[in-house]
Amino acid sequence: MGLQANEYSYPWLAEGEVPPLPLDRDRIHIISQGVADPVFDYDIIPLTYTESRWMAFVIRADEKAMKHIIPEPIQLQDDVIEFWYVIHKNTMLGPYMEMGVTFSATVDAEDGQTYKAGYYPYMYLSNDSPIWAGKEPFGFPKKAAYIAAFEHGTNNNYFNMLMERRGYVLHTANGRYSDKPLSARPTFYGKTDWGRMNYRITTRPDVSNSIHEVTYLPSELPPGFGTGHRFQLNPDSVRTATGDDIRAWYMSGTPFDFMGGQIPAKEVVGLISFTFNLIIPPAKTIWSKTVERGEGDLGQVLYSTPFKYTMRHRFLLPQYSQG
Amino acid sequence: MPSHLNVPTKYWELTKEVPPPPIERDIKSWIIANPSDPLWDIDVLPLTYTDSRWSAFVVRVPDDARQRLCPNPPLKVWDGDNADLVEFWYVDHKNTMLGPYLEFGVTISATYKDPKGNVWKAGYYPYMYLTGDAPVDAGRVLGFPKKMSYIRCSVHGGEKGTDFFGYAMSRNGYLMHSATGKFDDKEVTPPFFYGKTDWGKFNMKVVTRPDVSSSEWQLTYLPSELPGEMKKMISGHRFQIKPEHTRTASGDAINWFMQATPFDNMGAELKITEVTGLISFVFDLVIPPAQVLWTETYERPASYRGYATPYKYGLRQQFPISQGS
Repeated sequence: MGLQANEYSYPWLAEGEVPPLPLDRDRIHIISQGVADPVFDYDIIPLTYTESRWMAFVIRADEKAMKHIIPEPIQLQDDVIEFWYVIHKNTMLGPYMEMGVTFSATVDAEDGQTYKAGYYPYMYLSNDSPIWAGKEPFGFPKKAAYIAAFEHGTNNNYFNMLMERRGYVLHTANGRYSDKPLSARPTFYGKTDWGRMNYRITTRPDVSNSIHEVTYLPSELPPGFGTGHRFQLNPDSVRTATGDDIRAWYMSGTPFDFMGGQIPAKEVVGLISFTFNLIIPPAKTIWSKTVERGEGDLGQVLYSTPFKYTMRHRFLLPQYSQG
Repeated sequence: MPSHLNVPTKYWELTKEVPPPPIERDIKSWIIANPSDPLWDIDVLPLTYTDSRWSAFVVRVPDDARQRLCPNPPLKVWDGDNADLVEFWYVDHKNTMLGPYLEFGVTISATYKDPKGNVWKAGYYPYMYLTGDAPVDAGRVLGFPKKMSYIRCSVHGGEKGTDFFGYAMSRNGYLMHSATGKFDDKEVTPPFFYGKTDWGKFNMKVVTRPDVSSSEWQLTYLPSELPGEMKKMISGHRFQIKPEHTRTASGDAINWFMQATPFDNMGAELKITEVTGLISFVFDLVIPPAQVLWTETYERPASYRGYATPYKYGLRQQFPISQGS
């Protein structure tokens, strides 16, 4: 006889530690699939962060290469890039590691306004819920990766970052803080009239159309959360390193991730690190376009040969450490 | 002097195995964002699988538990033969257009009657977990309820080299399920939809607006037969079992543990009364685009607030930090 047990108890529910079960709620309180147990649920709203550690390399890349990877209607502002890692310790989505790239950009929107914002062409995270909470409603271009980023040693003087996906290292860097000023900073730093932008694509399950949207997150706190910037930096926590303080930097394009091939650093200007609190409000759609596909267009999206697997389909079996 | 090295390899310029990024192609071929480097791309399509091993526990679940898990409207649970048999499955995918990955899911027999009176029959998935990001996202576009988790599937050992089995799944530090045992090759009654070409697969997709002002629910349907464009490329049924690899185990041969966790309610919702057996087989598969059979939109007022309290973190927001795989 096999030995078998099913533990059905759910003690957290009675104590209010977890929200009412999704199937016991009105459907307006389901914001994601699966509807029985969503990958991110309404207990992430409002989405706040406390004492996250942001570690942002400032780099320059070829402006033509940067423009090449930006879709219409987004316009590039300059060649200074924020190339950042974050340790998120306390968030409504739990703790996670994150990496991203931010360009300064503008959009002439359908409402006649020009929106200024940091635009994200690449993002990587260590956990599933923040990936799809960012990707599905807002359009953050999130993928999963192995990310290590930390400071250590006396006064946390040393830093190291490493990101790998499917067996290829995308980037690593390490060095020591000197607290010297950097020769350049991203344009949007400290400006409350600069928000954040993403390019969202929502494709119908039958692939008959895709809705393209530019979504915009303003910098100001949303109504009901006071006034000021929604990104609250602790000024006592700031550390800096110049390009010469970054003893090692390695970045590469891979068959699965194009960042290193598309925007190699022309110059590593330095690193700015700080601790902050954050709130992410709902996003506004400032531009949209629907692309329809007829039966004759499906050939364009059937790139592979059935049952023939290529180098893009061959990599180490992911074991996923969120377990 | 520090060492700074950038290796700007553009693999898509070296081999056609790697498609150029969407931004360099016709906009009709952009499926998901970001146009510079999407999580998965057109080289996923057509989505085929070769020599995957499916290991399906057949479990008995009471009618009220199944009804609760199948959203009504628009679905109704199947009330015909073997209605209470639910598929509780693991898959080891070795060769797929999304790369190798491990997968877990639950399938309940259900039906949908459309406004014209047509009755659609399919297995409905209330829960799914995978080890890879790209297959999670590609599946979610079709409506699959996929999350990521840590999964293990082992079929190994003994005289045949496939005599013993071990499966496990955990997420955010909690074990959700584990089962071990030895195949005894006794007969196991499968869920009703097994082998029936008029039964497809159902999913419930949720598309939420960026401003969270509304969410559209879409009941999606994957037919058992391939649609026109893909039928030209691939012949036969889209699910091809290789019967020589099939093994079975009776309920008596299975050790089993399942529990609910603060992050995943399956163990509380799926009220299993009996583990009747295990069917394990090797197969090839094609997944086509899905039809949308039903939609309903739920609006939220501008004043809408969720369940959380700003900057106060509870049980669901505290677990060991992951660095990804």
